[in-house]
Amino acid sequence: MSGSNVWSRTREKLQRFPELFAECSFEAAAYGKCVAATTTSKQEIKKDLCAKEFEALKTCFTNAAKKRCK
Amino acid sequence: SSSGSRSRTWLRPWTCLSLGSPVSPGPLVRALSSQSGGPGLNVFDRQMKRRQREWAAAQSDAAQFEYIREESDIKRGVSLRTFPLALDLGCGRSFIAEHLTTDVVQQIYLTDIAPTCVRLRHSEISSRCILADEEFLPFKDDTFDLVLSSMSLHWVNDLPGALRQVWRVLKPDGAFIAALPGGDSLYELRCSLQLAQTEREGGFSPHVSPLTAVTDLGNLLGRAGFTLLTVSWTWTQSRLGFVSGMGESNCAWNRRLLLHRDTILATAAVYKEMYGNPDGSIPATFDLLFMIGWKPHDSQAKPAKRGSATVSFGDLSKISPPKTS
Repeated sequence: MSGSNVWSRTREKLQRFPELFAECSFEAAAYGKCVAATTTSKQEIKKDLCAKEFEALKTCFTNAAKKRCK
Repeated sequence: SSSGSRSRTWLRPWTCLSLGSPVSPGPLVRALSSQSGGPGLNVFDRQMKRRQREWAAAQSDAAQFEYIREESDIKRGVSLRTFPLALDLGCGRSFIAEHLTTDVVQQIYLTDIAPTCVRLRHSEISSRCILADEEFLPFKDDTFDLVLSSMSLHWVNDLPGALRQVWRVLKPDGAFIAALPGGDSLYELRCSLQLAQTEREGGFSPHVSPLTAVTDLGNLLGRAGFTLLTVSWTWTQSRLGFVSGMGESNCAWNRRLLLHRDTILATAAVYKEMYGNPDGSIPATFDLLFMIGWKPHDSQAKPAKRGSATVSFGDLSKISPPKTS
């Protein structure tokens, strides 16, 4: 792929994903546990079941991305 | 010197080493494939797959993604005897040819749908490269002593048709040895995606392509005419980020073209929580299926005729253990 385009920019962003994700391991674990709990309990997975945990994760992730770009 | 038919745009023979008189490409066999029930089977976008394999092969670090091919270790099954002429179907970056020796295979044809793949790096075996689709083999009947395929059959649309074509181009008593990822591959990804998408979006769509179950393989090989079948499988784990590096990105027509960023983030969190290793690494399972099939020949052992037994199972109790001296 020559030149910068949507495809290469997306790939670049994806490559940064692991390091940003690593900064939010606490929030990620909380969200992951909330979702994983539905596989062992009677509670079925449904939309926004873990919305609170996800918002915390997303906020952490977005902040980490902003810090990196500075 | 390069020669061959140009009547179909997808076939462009490529000579890597010239070897005297080449095996001439046979009549194109599209008709055979469609007779077998092909027209209804169009699961994968083959143009997309070609572009994905091109891209993966062209990456400067492509070699590090070969380890699944190493893992499938198909050459171990090949050291049964010497095969004068072999075909590598979906050769990728010619991994198999590079690791074979002349006492096993004397001459090999390499085919793949992606041009970059079909450039031989180095092999002690004399070879020719042909740009061809696994679903339309441009070779005459009874040509090859051995057909190999490692990690490419899982993207074929008409798998029964492709297997029948392999059978067609094999000589009687020829062998077909293949490895491909099977039904449980990437189950961690499938499950994490499904849960995360449901929680974020309220539903889910397929993102991992359909894979063959090991139970179907025996059937498929039998229906294609192969005999003396061996099917086995092994699990191996790799790291998730490598899937596109291997040219294995999903190209099924039913793949959703976009994955929301939120869903990607959610999937990563679920995946790590449910499947992450204590040391922090994230495993991705490849369920590798191996198969060996033979084209029938009179020299092959046949099942004994009913009623021809000369001993009975009841005699087993009369056998005494050998005296140890």
